[in-house]
Amino acid sequence: MSHEDSARKNHDDIVQYSATRPFWGRLTNWQPYRLLLTFATASPRRQFIILAAFPLLWLLTQHLGPMIQMARVSLLESYPVAQGAPQNFTLDNYIRFFGDHIFWMPFFRTLTFAAVFTFCTLILTYPVAYFLARHVSRHNQMLMLLILLIPFWVGEIVRTYAIMILLGNTGAVNLALKWLGLIERPIPFMYTSFSMGLGIVYLTALYMLLPLYSALEKLPKSYTEVAADLGAGAWTRFRRITLPLTIEGISSGCTLVFLISTGFYATPVLLGGPSTTVFAETIAGFFHYAGDEWPTGAAFAVIMFAAALFITGLFQKLMKALRRGDTK
Amino acid sequence: MNRSNRIVLACVYWAFVLYVFVPLILMILMGFKDSKFIGFPIRSWTLDWYYSIFSDAEILYTFGYSMLIAILSTLISVVIGTWLALLLEGRKFWGWAVTFGLMVLPALVPGIISAIAFRIYARWLGIEPGMGAIIWAHAVHNVPFVSLVVMARLSTLPKSQTEAARDLGADPLVAFLRITLPYLVPSILGASIFCMLLSFDDFVRSFFLGGYEETLPVLIFAMLRSGMSPEINAIATIALVLTAAIGIWAERFTRRTNKESQL
Repeated sequence: MSHEDSARKNHDDIVQYSATRPFWGRLTNWQPYRLLLTFATASPRRQFIILAAFPLLWLLTQHLGPMIQMARVSLLESYPVAQGAPQNFTLDNYIRFFGDHIFWMPFFRTLTFAAVFTFCTLILTYPVAYFLARHVSRHNQMLMLLILLIPFWVGEIVRTYAIMILLGNTGAVNLALKWLGLIERPIPFMYTSFSMGLGIVYLTALYMLLPLYSALEKLPKSYTEVAADLGAGAWTRFRRITLPLTIEGISSGCTLVFLISTGFYATPVLLGGPSTTVFAETIAGFFHYAGDEWPTGAAFAVIMFAAALFITGLFQKLMKALRRGDTK
Repeated sequence: MNRSNRIVLACVYWAFVLYVFVPLILMILMGFKDSKFIGFPIRSWTLDWYYSIFSDAEILYTFGYSMLIAILSTLISVVIGTWLALLLEGRKFWGWAVTFGLMVLPALVPGIISAIAFRIYARWLGIEPGMGAIIWAHAVHNVPFVSLVVMARLSTLPKSQTEAARDLGADPLVAFLRITLPYLVPSILGASIFCMLLSFDDFVRSFFLGGYEETLPVLIFAMLRSGMSPEINAIATIALVLTAAIGIWAERFTRRTNKESQL
């Protein structure tokens, strides 16, 4: 076949292609498109830059930007900075937190509550995840997991309100207890750390359940069967095999739930009382006004985020050490 | 031994199901109570609370406002989240880990801190609190969820498919538009539904970035602070039915398309 022939054949192909796929054919034969494409794909490097430029710009300005701006405002002496006035940077906003112990109480309460609630969520959801992953047939697993997903699509405020109705003085729990004759006067569940805990565990349970479930599901059944053949009891099997091999799921679930728990604002406001004020409410307090308190609020938010990250970092290190220790 | 274990675990599972369902069921029941007073027992039933909602223009407007915010913010998140997934999945480049870390950052920042960081940044950019600010904050917050879902799907696309398209003469863009993108569609749709639910349900960002108009969760929060009433139950029930129905539909849809593409 001569050169000319092959060129004609090629041309025929393109024409045929255009005829069967008018849109794509027309697009790929369109001159400006071809020029643009030749320019964009001239080198792998240029192709990568075109792919990466916009997302990277987005990450820096939209994901990182708010964090950096918050850190900057937390160091300002006053905000908003008056026109023409110099920006004075200061550490006073941070010193204010360490200098005044009325801020410490909600701060440590938030971290303690978050840790306790995370632990409760773990204890509550581990058996559920274990049951789903190890004792339910493949087909039913999806269905039974789906049942659990439904309530978690419902918003934070609606679920918080549902807990308020459950636990109120004329709520379902008190009614049931009275009907059973266990109590005469309603127990004041609401506006305590109990109601807050129940609400927060309710909101975060799924974020624990899913990592645990996927860790347990990956664990081959044969591992525990072999251990059983070798004479290990149920508890030993769990402690020596299942638990160490699902520590990754535990670690990521706990990290997620801890971070989420420290950030709740509406739930503590609605379910908690004066004795359970959390740091989120303290921070929010600085933002109810026009702006003169913003630097303090920003500093407090930075302190809380740093503390939460420090604790989760420490926790993950500990989990890693545990895993290494157990598999040795 | 194993059998009794199994029974105990099954009981724990069903107890957990009760824990997550009972509060919502009680809340729904309370919306039909024929009395202004919230509390059990319920002696007579009514639909009045629903009538009053559907004749209240302000509440209906709030529903529409929240939905509009959910749709617009989802459009932004989906485009950027998918783009990020294409950049991150199956590619190794200098700074990959940092890029990935930045991508998931908005999902890991605790709610209140994320809300005030957005509030400060919006003011710096000169965005007034209101609809635009809420859409922007929701869009940024939801990007990681889209990226993670799309990345998971993209990792299962056999490389041979795009390579075959390229061998047959498709340029990179056509190969992307005709092979990769259609393959990603189920995950993109699933992620959009999830984003819409996140946006529709979000309280803390809408609260701190909202202007005078309230989104639905902010409205319910404000009503709750001034006292409980069965009207709130009715509003919450409608929101619940809406979100749960959309969620179930999306779950079934993604499951079905996943199964089809496996065949």
